[in-house]
Amino acid sequence: MNVWRDKDFKQGILASAAPSPGVVAFGLLYGVMARKMGFSPWEAWAMSLIVHAGSAQFTILSMWATVGALPIILTTLVVNLRHLLMGASVVPYLRGLHPFWKAFLALWMSDESYALAIAKYRQGRGSHWYFLGANVGIYLAWSTSGLLGALLGAAIPDPGRYGLDLVFPLGFLGLLTALLQDRTGTAVALAAGGLALLGALLLPGQGTVVVAGMLGSGVGLLLEQVMGRK
Amino acid sequence: MEKFVIFLGMALATYLTRYTMIAALRQETPALLQRWLRYVPVALLAALIVPAALAPQGCLEIGLRAWAVLAGSLVAWRTRNVLWTILGGLAVFWLFRILGV
Repeated sequence: MNVWRDKDFKQGILASAAPSPGVVAFGLLYGVMARKMGFSPWEAWAMSLIVHAGSAQFTILSMWATVGALPIILTTLVVNLRHLLMGASVVPYLRGLHPFWKAFLALWMSDESYALAIAKYRQGRGSHWYFLGANVGIYLAWSTSGLLGALLGAAIPDPGRYGLDLVFPLGFLGLLTALLQDRTGTAVALAAGGLALLGALLLPGQGTVVVAGMLGSGVGLLLEQVMGRK
Repeated sequence: MEKFVIFLGMALATYLTRYTMIAALRQETPALLQRWLRYVPVALLAALIVPAALAPQGCLEIGLRAWAVLAGSLVAWRTRNVLWTILGGLAVFWLFRILGV
């Protein structure tokens, strides 16, 4: 491990501080909810440490008491399907990396660390060490805040009242602007957002995010063709 | 104990979604696919944001959350900074709450 790479790793960890408020607010909320559903603080923490998938964990909490193991695991799969798209879109940047690295980077790839890493890659300054640093930073923020929320449990009355759940979409907004480069990108964002909203209104479950993501990015390709740009 | 077995199952399902494409897609992905994938990050983030702002409970709701995210969008556009975006959005949320909008 040479010094340059080491620097990238630290940079990745530091960069993860930016979206961390969103992760921490969401993590606290998760911990509180887990307690309400009858989890002990340690069980709530264990789920975060082992699964490390915020929206899936949240969805599971709401159905934990009523369904069995198989539906829970299948739901996790469906909620996380968007990671298939994320994985596919990082492939060009992981070129030539050892298979071990690829498998390791996939392990803790979260929405936030993925957005940070890919923005850096597009500036031409990305690296797998930076990616790993961002992954680790978000992993720590998510698991620690989940435990904290579960320990504080009853002391936090209703985080929704203070708009803390908002920190999550707001953090994504900040990450999104780092990726917007041109009008086509803006059009893609609007199309995908509109489709996802429509899906959320008309269909149950979270699978619509994936469909909106696929169709929305397809809009970008279509615009490229129409405007004749490469 | 049963809980932990389920957690492991969930972790496996999650890892499957994260790793499959990275493992399966060859480095020479077709150019068209690559160009399409370039728009995926923007599309996914937007698809996560909009429903959380306008339909937090699954039905359309132009309320405090919508205004806060709108304000956040303006801040994000001007500053391109995650922290300012969060603070700006929350500030509008709290301000509107106090004013009773």
